[in-house]
Amino acid sequence: MSGFTLHPGMKVIVQGATGRMGSRHAELMKQYGTNIVGGTAGASARRDESALPLFDHCADAVAATGAQASITLVPPMDVLKAVTEALEAGIKLVVSPSEGMPVRDALLACELVKEHGASWIGPSTPGLAIPKRMKLGFIPDVSLVPGPLGVMSKSGTLSYETCFRLGSRGVGQSTWIGVGGDSVKGSRFAELLPYFHHDADTRALLILGEIGGTEEEELAAAIERIGFAKPVFVLLAGASAPEGVTMGHAGALVQGGRGTVKSKTEALRGVGAAVFTRIEDLVNGVLASDV
Amino acid sequence: MLLLEHDAKELAREQGIPVPPGLFVDADSVAAASLPDGGAWVVKAQVGVGGRGKAGGIGFASTRDEVAGFVRAHAGSVIKGHKVAGFRVEQKVAFEQEAYLSFMVDAAGRGVRILLSAQGGMDVEAHAQHDGAMLSALAMPDEASIAAAAAPLLAQLPASLQAPLRMAAVELARLFLELDATLLEVNPLFVRADASWVAGDMKLSLDENALGRHPELERVVRSRPTVYREAVFKLEHGFDYVEIDPRGQVGLLTTGAGLSMMLIDEMLQAGLRPFNFCDVRTGLLRGEPTRLIEVLKQFAHGGEVAVVLVNIFAGITDLDEFARLLLEALDAVPEIKVPVVARLIGNNFEAARHRIERSGRAIAVTMDLDDALRQAVAQAEATA
Repeated sequence: MSGFTLHPGMKVIVQGATGRMGSRHAELMKQYGTNIVGGTAGASARRDESALPLFDHCADAVAATGAQASITLVPPMDVLKAVTEALEAGIKLVVSPSEGMPVRDALLACELVKEHGASWIGPSTPGLAIPKRMKLGFIPDVSLVPGPLGVMSKSGTLSYETCFRLGSRGVGQSTWIGVGGDSVKGSRFAELLPYFHHDADTRALLILGEIGGTEEEELAAAIERIGFAKPVFVLLAGASAPEGVTMGHAGALVQGGRGTVKSKTEALRGVGAAVFTRIEDLVNGVLASDV
Repeated sequence: MLLLEHDAKELAREQGIPVPPGLFVDADSVAAASLPDGGAWVVKAQVGVGGRGKAGGIGFASTRDEVAGFVRAHAGSVIKGHKVAGFRVEQKVAFEQEAYLSFMVDAAGRGVRILLSAQGGMDVEAHAQHDGAMLSALAMPDEASIAAAAAPLLAQLPASLQAPLRMAAVELARLFLELDATLLEVNPLFVRADASWVAGDMKLSLDENALGRHPELERVVRSRPTVYREAVFKLEHGFDYVEIDPRGQVGLLTTGAGLSMMLIDEMLQAGLRPFNFCDVRTGLLRGEPTRLIEVLKQFAHGGEVAVVLVNIFAGITDLDEFARLLLEALDAVPEIKVPVVARLIGNNFEAARHRIERSGRAIAVTMDLDDALRQAVAQAEATA
């Protein structure tokens, strides 16, 4: 996907702003400091209770507000439609938290994102954040602490827990991006690496990975390819998952001996990353370094 | 989710794909089964994992007694940790050549990966090591794109295979797309002397996220609640639950897939046997204890569950509300008498702790996950 960028003050619209999730999280994101400028809602939605300027379509919202980013708080079967509408309205960054988006829809969305030269984060993610500045999604405030770690995670809760422990001991985050737990996704670890490479606030990388797929291996290759020189700390979940059994995340599946912790560990250690399989070991590893 | 070969083939047959006639039997039904005509049969253990042939799960029979003998000998056996669900008895196919054709979602390539080889069979992975033996192309998930990407691969096949494989590619691509599959592999793909083809073996993986728009697939999944146990649970209850070890000591009532997976890893590293994985998703409880009750009921099946470990990292959920639901759920499942260790973190922790203390139940409350894990270990060891 094309170059991912993020600015703390960027104008954001909420797609599905009057739904149960949408109205609640629009308010929480706004309170956190995100520049939420409006929302879209279906024709039948109750609009009188919304504190946001509401529009029928993304194109109207973009024309009226100059929004550059959107978050799609819609049911999983509606994500493709929402992403398509956002891209056609000229939005360049779309975040899709929904869990349960069909894989074929995700493939089609990826193709559209590429055609439009945009970036897409998700699906199945708590979103992204720059601590104390902005968040698109619902990463818990208690875990968000400004600091030196660029965070990329396949799992919401594992990143909450790990960043909470690190944050309580004085090591916070520069930018935190949940790439999501699905196999087909808008942005993969390796594709976001250049952002952290160039981001002056990021002094080290924290990766919360898990079994299945090849993202960790691709990340290792990208670290070498672009000469990423900042320290990389990796926590891998799912070492004990039985082959052929999916545990919650559709992407976390070992099949035919591929996608194992062993393969990922070898690839990442090969490019100098510190790899852990216990949260506390990773936390101690980060604390013992000079990050 | 990987379907049993039998279910995959019956779905394929309904869509007009040529498959050998066959039927599903188990040790009880095999004696009375009306086997397909032909006098030579293949008996194939039905199990949701690959590599069955090499594990001895496929037999050949030329009499009814041999069919029944194979079924009785292998009934209830376990292949790669998966229990054999039954057997598909098929008419043996007379073929000239065995080819290989598959379509799968390529997550890294963001498309449909087409793999094609003139040499199929059990050793296809070994053959694929030879340069050029496995032809590969990437397409978008639509019939036109797949046909365009497959054409140059088909042109590289021996002449005798081109026509049947071209036909198979069109028909199987349509099936792959129509069922919202993530994998459709036909290996071996038999080509007969008259250039017709038939699917020897078939692996079909469905996208569980798409079941909502495929009532016909949902019916297949629901028809085998013991085989597709996790998928049926998710359809019924809307969240993920996987039993890991029937002899597990710790029942996990947790939220978040990644953290729950990590917790299981850490327990095993600490020498503890977790009973289950679950991601109850507290954000979707909506003031009802229903999901918590469902999970506790599962623990009642675990004869060695000695402690329940609750882990809730609540970004938004009110912990006092969660504590109320947890107590209601425990009241609703009185069979669960073991101690509970609850790690709670988030909004309204103190109110939650007071509510739990007032209940008088044996629930230890802590904010620290490692502390909770230590207490669970202690409880499990005290029982063992």
